[in-house]
Amino acid sequence: MSQQRTTIWETELEEDLQDVDVNLAIGNYGQNGMYEDAQSRIDEATLLAVQQQMAQQAAFSQVPDVVKRFIVHFHQAVLDNNLAEITVAYESGWNRLTEKFYAKTEWPEAEVIAPLVNDDQIFLILYRELYYRHVYSRLQPDIDDRFHSYENSCELFNYLLNSDGPVALELPEQWLWDIIDEFIYQYQSFCVWRSKVKSKTDEEIVLLSDESQVWSSYSVLNVLYSLIQKSKIHEHIIALQEGKSAEEIDEIVGEYGVRPLYRMLGYFSIIGLLRVHTLLGDFTLALKVMENVELSQKSPFMRVTACHVTTFYYVGFCYIMLRRYPDAIRTFVNILNFIMRMRQYHTRSYQYDQINKTADRMYALLAICSALSPMRVDDNISNIVKERYGEQFTKMSRGEEGLPACEELFLYACPKFIAANPPPYEEGDQLAMYLEDPPIEPAQRHLALFLSEVRAQAPVPTLRSFLKLYTSLGAAKLANFLDADEEEMVQQLMIMKQASRSVSRVDTENEKGLLDGQITSTSDLDFVIDENMVHIAESTLGRKYAGWFIRNTEHSQRVFDGLRNSPLPIPPKKANAQAAKGGPEPSAAAPRTGGRNVAWGGVKTA
Amino acid sequence: MATVASTWVSPPTRTPLIENLVSGVDRYNPNNVGILEDYLYHQIRSEEYDCLANLAILKLYQFNPDLYNPDVVINILIKALTSSPFPDFNLCLSLLDERPVKENTDEPDPLPSLLPILTTLYNLLQQCRFPAFWAMYRSDEAEALRDNYTVECVGFENTVRDVVIRAVKAAFKRIGSARLSSYLDLSGDGLTAYIEKLGWSIDAVSGVVTVPPNLDNNPQSTVVQEYIQLPQLAKVISHATLTA
Repeated sequence: MSQQRTTIWETELEEDLQDVDVNLAIGNYGQNGMYEDAQSRIDEATLLAVQQQMAQQAAFSQVPDVVKRFIVHFHQAVLDNNLAEITVAYESGWNRLTEKFYAKTEWPEAEVIAPLVNDDQIFLILYRELYYRHVYSRLQPDIDDRFHSYENSCELFNYLLNSDGPVALELPEQWLWDIIDEFIYQYQSFCVWRSKVKSKTDEEIVLLSDESQVWSSYSVLNVLYSLIQKSKIHEHIIALQEGKSAEEIDEIVGEYGVRPLYRMLGYFSIIGLLRVHTLLGDFTLALKVMENVELSQKSPFMRVTACHVTTFYYVGFCYIMLRRYPDAIRTFVNILNFIMRMRQYHTRSYQYDQINKTADRMYALLAICSALSPMRVDDNISNIVKERYGEQFTKMSRGEEGLPACEELFLYACPKFIAANPPPYEEGDQLAMYLEDPPIEPAQRHLALFLSEVRAQAPVPTLRSFLKLYTSLGAAKLANFLDADEEEMVQQLMIMKQASRSVSRVDTENEKGLLDGQITSTSDLDFVIDENMVHIAESTLGRKYAGWFIRNTEHSQRVFDGLRNSPLPIPPKKANAQAAKGGPEPSAAAPRTGGRNVAWGGVKTA
Repeated sequence: MATVASTWVSPPTRTPLIENLVSGVDRYNPNNVGILEDYLYHQIRSEEYDCLANLAILKLYQFNPDLYNPDVVINILIKALTSSPFPDFNLCLSLLDERPVKENTDEPDPLPSLLPILTTLYNLLQQCRFPAFWAMYRSDEAEALRDNYTVECVGFENTVRDVVIRAVKAAFKRIGSARLSSYLDLSGDGLTAYIEKLGWSIDAVSGVVTVPPNLDNNPQSTVVQEYIQLPQLAKVISHATLTA
């Protein structure tokens, strides 16, 4: 039985893969090795197709009516390009039915439900997109799922990129983001799974060695770059920044770029590149592809919260690896503030969970950065850091002995790094060698590099605590305190000086691109060595009043509004007349209502 | 004005051809690796440095393991060694995936034996342990590195000295010449000439070198005053206009 299944599967795959021809933006490199023709298997395939059809009919009768109705309705919404209806089906219908019927099993296969949608191939591709996403998130994808989800993604992108001109399809922004997000997630998941040689069956090894192009880095980058080029999203962003009018922009971005579907896919692909390059350890390139993107809440592309959060997480992380801790801190604080503010609007579903998880990892990274480059941050944020990671923070602020804490937090909070290349599945001997002596895991490699940077500045906290006590002291005396050789101690002072300077993006107005920046001082404690004397200068913060006054002014305004809007204490008989006039609802008296009035504008989610 | 980071991202010496490769999708085309490798050797001969172009080579190696050329990798790492305040060396290492050792090549791969030495040298520079750096660099252990690689890299020792000078300039107002000599691995006339070239002055009697004042070696105690920006007051003001 199992043998038969493999054969069906192989024939399908070979035929389908021939069709996979995503428009190659970056060329068809390293993708040689096409497939032999499938003719010899056709007869067998016909026979099996009949059997398959019967099985599908049986499966179809198993599908609950409510699911059938949902699919028909969903299909109609997609046919009509009715964004509101699609959104309802996508965000609530699908999830509700998943909970009810498919919490632990797959949704019906696309072939099974095909009759419901008149065999609409485009809808079936979209359906499979959801089908596999469900498999990945709720169940354990097997090798067939992994190969087929790749194939389906290729078909989807092929349809979008290689039809005659732009397609008329419209999808909600959230879904478009999820398509790109999931595409990269599945790529990353495949790379991790592929690298675990030990658990592979012989059959899997054969497949992996035959199909080395499935989920290859080149193919993933190809899709992302193609979407970026087709949509002319970079040109679009630049035109926006130059203040061009809507008509001018339409002119610039062309027939693809004017369509919201391509525009958003293009933008999300830039964020996708940021993520892929980070996963592969290319932190410079990751930030370079973001060159034109503005990290501002006001950007028209920032409407999908999940995308917004992902963007800041990866940008912040890259800054850490570029040893630009102040920039990392600023990035994290910015987004964590945003997450805190939107919490009241956004308690919905799976996305909220995911965002919370990412936020917690960012708090961990923030703890690391704050220990390495102390700087004042927003009180709300720093309180949460202390609450969650206070213990590790204290250890990390002590230099050398904090390394294990640093390691723990880094491994918890870092992206799921991947190796660019598969183990040598096609070479038996090399595979055996690989098994015997497996390479260091990517996360461990990046951890080691990061820790070498941390270790280099390990003496700083101790020195700092001594220097804080003096305005000047002799180097020999300081060395004595530290129980160190004087020359060694002077060298450590130079480390301290270096650690208190960082390349940072100070002037965000004029500095183009996330990589730009200049050297800034990051410490309140500064010093200079005059031959053998150390002179210390400390900067202190003046007391701050503004926050207090602003908060209390706002508060008293709310109280005042509340008082003014509440009905006057008038004799009871007139009270009815007052209520009939429909004055502002009495509950508005509570000062709380002012809280809705967020200065950043409502959080929109698609 | 070009900032220190913008020069790092795109050095003025980069040609349009290379710029095109670094910033465009052609960077993924393995056929272009030769152009980038030639550019690296050009950097080595003419004391130029272009981190992003070199990272592009490593990216091609990462995706196309067959292209891997250990000599190129070693040269890239040597150039990256002295790029403070940027962590180029580690950025390069990030892109070097673990690769299975190829057995059937005629020449042994020199990278595995040189990598620990290069890493140690990098760490010593990072930790400002300059005398230890020179001792290691001049040791027998590093002979293969010197004889086969750094000797070809024009001005290598001077770029190390540039790193030293950056650290000294930031931390010192005045520094004893013996100390400076141990950092720079220069003495006698060599040291005097070097100090002169920097435009620093040396006291003939005490031998103390004065470092001209700069942004970093001139610390001042300050009190940072609060600075209120208009957006902070937006809510208060807009409320006031609403109710006015």
